Amino acid sequence: MSKKVSALDMPDVPMGQLPEHLNRQRTRVTCNADAPIHTDAVHYSGAYSLMGVDNSMGLEKFSKNFKVEIVRLSEDEIEFDMIGIDASLANAFRRILIAEIPTMAIEKVLMVNNTSLIADEVLSHRLGLIPLDADPRLFEYLSENDVPNERNTIVYKLEVSCKKDSPRNTVKTSQLKWLPNGSELEMATLDKSAKVKSYTSFSCSQDSLPEISKKPLGVKHDDIIIAKLGPGQAIELEAHAVKGIGKVHAKWSPVASAWYRMLPEVVLLTEVKGQDAEKLVNKCPVNVFDIEDLGHGDKKAVVANPRACTLCRECIRGVNEELVELGRVKHHFIFTIESTGALSPEELFIEAVKILEEKCDRLLSELS
Amino acid sequence: MNAPDRYERFVVPEGTKKVSYERDTKIVNAAAFTIEREEHTVGNILRMQLHRDPNVLFAGYKLPHPLQYKIIVRIQTTSQSSPTQAYTQAIDDLDKELDYLKKSFEDEKNREDEKLRQGY
Repeated sequence: MSKKVSALDMPDVPMGQLPEHLNRQRTRVTCNADAPIHTDAVHYSGAYSLMGVDNSMGLEKFSKNFKVEIVRLSEDEIEFDMIGIDASLANAFRRILIAEIPTMAIEKVLMVNNTSLIADEVLSHRLGLIPLDADPRLFEYLSENDVPNERNTIVYKLEVSCKKDSPRNTVKTSQLKWLPNGSELEMATLDKSAKVKSYTSFSCSQDSLPEISKKPLGVKHDDIIIAKLGPGQAIELEAHAVKGIGKVHAKWSPVASAWYRMLPEVVLLTEVKGQDAEKLVNKCPVNVFDIEDLGHGDKKAVVANPRACTLCRECIRGVNEELVELGRVKHHFIFTIESTGALSPEELFIEAVKILEEKCDRLLSELS
Repeated sequence: MNAPDRYERFVVPEGTKKVSYERDTKIVNAAAFTIEREEHTVGNILRMQLHRDPNVLFAGYKLPHPLQYKIIVRIQTTSQSSPTQAYTQAIDDLDKELDYLKKSFEDEKNREDEKLRQGY
């Protein structure tokens, strides 16, 4: 009778490490033709304790495994990889980037004259959505009881008209003028002898503030069409921009969008040669596969660019035998942040981390 | 017409506490933390970090209703720890991880800036 050996003591099972198939379950989402499997992350530190494998994640282990790699960086967009974080953290960053980073946007519009075809409220709505080139960190929030001053409001003026007998003209954001001295309109008062008050009380010109004088506050893009005027029509208004967050209104969202995806992993299960290789390469719309010449006219398919895989599943559709296995690497996230212009995309991400830290600190400090 | 003001999603009104704690009367070492004006952003992260603690037997969060802006985090621990201790430990660990993450990102950003400046 043969001696009974524990499965874990077999020579080909690595000790202290998970067997291959369990490691695959732990670190990869397998995307089958109908649905993905193994999508949950294994957080419990004792999950594999019976095998002698420690699944805990402390700060030291996190620091060792965590990596950031910036793939592409431009003035408006950043694409970077974060390796070693959990899906909940990635989602938290995405939610904060979209909804909780403050920006400046036009909130109050004082209409003096609007004879254009665009209604007052529609025009005001459009003005609110214009991305402004103002760093929100230099401004404070304006609450209901506060007086609008140079520290919490930016004032813009739009004064355009279309002369009679001239063709229609287009009102673009380049015609929105910044007023560094505050509002020029006067509040109507019944008391004729009192001093005239304007809608904002700027104690000094915003031009003179050191941080703002370096770069004048304007709009980010000069060519956004606000309205169109026919002959004889005119628009005269004053717009006040204040600080807010995306949760209150989407105009205050600092990103065009911010999203993440998991790193795709494409594995060829068998050798695919000749005609089949050609067919496989042609099936993929994003060129994940490529042909490798083996000499003597022989060719085989290789996975050239798995990062481009969009999970369209064309390569596994309708085939009888399994050639390809599609999957996603669980703790590797490819983030893309497109900024609307007030803050650069790297700054946006750093602000998002700061806001998350503040939230966590608040949870701790306000525990009764 | 009946929609609450948008700022209600994150402004804690006067008189309500941001985090309140209620011990579970029927199970030992179990408690429910009600966090006002927070949602999945923080709830999911807290739950994930609590799951990593070997002393935590049960950790979960829920939003009772999408129009009531609060989350309830329920924690049950072994007798070696307490729910408050697990909660505090989880947030501390999160703070440290976020700090490290921020530093890593800033380092990588500086490295990219250097590369661009030198025209790689």
